[in-house]
Amino acid sequence: MLAFRAANDALFVVPSNFPQPVYDFTKNPISKNKIELGRALFYDPIFSRNNMISCASCHSQFSAFTHVDHALSHGIEDKIGFRNAPALMNLAWQKTFMRDGAVNHLDVLALAPIGNPVEMDENIAHVISKLQAGKIYPRLFFNAFGDSVITGEHTLKALSQFMLTFISANSKYDSVMHNESEFTVQENNGYQLFTKNCASCHREPLFTNDDFMNNGLPVDTTLNDYGRYGITNNPNDSLKFKVPTLRNIEFSYPYMHDGRFKRLSQVLDHYTKGIEKNKTLSNELQKTIELTSNEKVDLIAFLLTLTDKSFLYNPEYFYPREIFSGSSME
Amino acid sequence: MSICRVLFILILQAIWNFGFSQGNAVQITIAPTFGHQTIQLFDSTFKARNGDDLQIEVLKFYISHIQLLKNGKVVLEDKKSSHLIDASEASPFLISLDNPQNIIFDELKFNLGIDSLTNVSGVLGGDLDPAKGMYWAWQSGYVNFKLEGSSALCKTRNNAFEFHLGGYLPPYYCLQTLNFDVKDQKMIALKVDVEKILDQIDLAQINHIMSPCEEAILLSKKVANAFNISAY
Repeated sequence: MLAFRAANDALFVVPSNFPQPVYDFTKNPISKNKIELGRALFYDPIFSRNNMISCASCHSQFSAFTHVDHALSHGIEDKIGFRNAPALMNLAWQKTFMRDGAVNHLDVLALAPIGNPVEMDENIAHVISKLQAGKIYPRLFFNAFGDSVITGEHTLKALSQFMLTFISANSKYDSVMHNESEFTVQENNGYQLFTKNCASCHREPLFTNDDFMNNGLPVDTTLNDYGRYGITNNPNDSLKFKVPTLRNIEFSYPYMHDGRFKRLSQVLDHYTKGIEKNKTLSNELQKTIELTSNEKVDLIAFLLTLTDKSFLYNPEYFYPREIFSGSSME
Repeated sequence: MSICRVLFILILQAIWNFGFSQGNAVQITIAPTFGHQTIQLFDSTFKARNGDDLQIEVLKFYISHIQLLKNGKVVLEDKKSSHLIDASEASPFLISLDNPQNIIFDELKFNLGIDSLTNVSGVLGGDLDPAKGMYWAWQSGYVNFKLEGSSALCKTRNNAFEFHLGGYLPPYYCLQTLNFDVKDQKMIALKVDVEKILDQIDLAQINHIMSPCEEAILLSKKVANAFNISAY
């Protein structure tokens, strides 16, 4: 495989066409046992008040770790959230998290859904007491951190480790970049259109610039979500949302922060004829994007080359049956 | 049981104080007060100067980067970067700085709250563990200072007031740096007077601050004003 080792460990391999990660591995050195612990935690509904909602409830692997088919994600007791759950991949390259960048570091990401009254409605201190009282965790924490006393720090670092392994870099697009295969004529035409019209924000190879942009979506008046403005209170940030990656977009529908579009064709229609011009609209969208219907088909053909089946069906991310079944037999 | 525990802690502190009184440490005590009264949470009603009856249920805050200075230069530093002070635990809170060479100082400097660098450093342990209840969940960042209670002046549910002060990003950077002249080279008794904090607030108007904002900065400054050093 065309890749080189990073963080002194083969457990986290930087794809050869990727930049160096943002995540500081020196503060959380990666290990097999920590990843395994994080995997158990990711799938354990113990993080919710009623012990029914896990991270995986709204972040399922086959949809690139988003909440498939739900415009607004639902959490505990079927309560409806405010936004569409973001897909989780290539998180080691991300500086801020959530649609509005409310979270500044991967390690503290999980605190938001844990504490949200319509997601998990729990608090981390209580989660820790539940984990400490459970059968499997003191041993898993000992294996991972050399200490069976469970802390918030260790819990969150283990979750980070599992999520850091969510690397998607094995799509057809990547193999074309490595000169291992070729685009079809249609895909190649789509790639040219992408480069011309989309790539300045959805920057290769991560397909995001990790920045906040207003992409001209009219405000949904049932939500009145002004995105980044809610965090910074800066009027210049009004209606700006994190530019999401386009990797695995075939499976991460519905699209946009509120999941308003079910199909990619609707997304392209928005960019060609749905842009609402207002003060904070991104510079890139000031000039109308023009695409014929054939060009839209070609562009979508290119976007489908960003699907990474080896990521979506990687058994290393599956529900860790072996860990949990061991506990129920005790 | 709890009296035994308090006695035990006092005896331990006395032994410890004695051990260090020979000279190799500077002891800083931090005690929350209401006027001259030491605060005991949950079981006391405090009488404000305006006649208002107050209950205080939560008082927690971070003190960080404690330094001792001589002529404006740092001569001694606390090895532990941050301390969480919780008024529901034994008071006064004790911080000891080793001073084996009996270095002379004339000023105490520390931060009320957590600095911006620490706020973007991911998850941390000890007193900074988010499980300590001083980390915002919905957005990243530490709560520097928490004061919760009730007052008849607050026309809120259960007459509650809640102040969670924090914010690490400009323009709402809430961290306060405090300086005090000190003479005693062994003991520094730092107090934070909740009565003085509340004296500066109209509880009928302001009773709920839960996110980084202009009001949080203003109130953080008022909290900083309520610290004082008393002579032993």
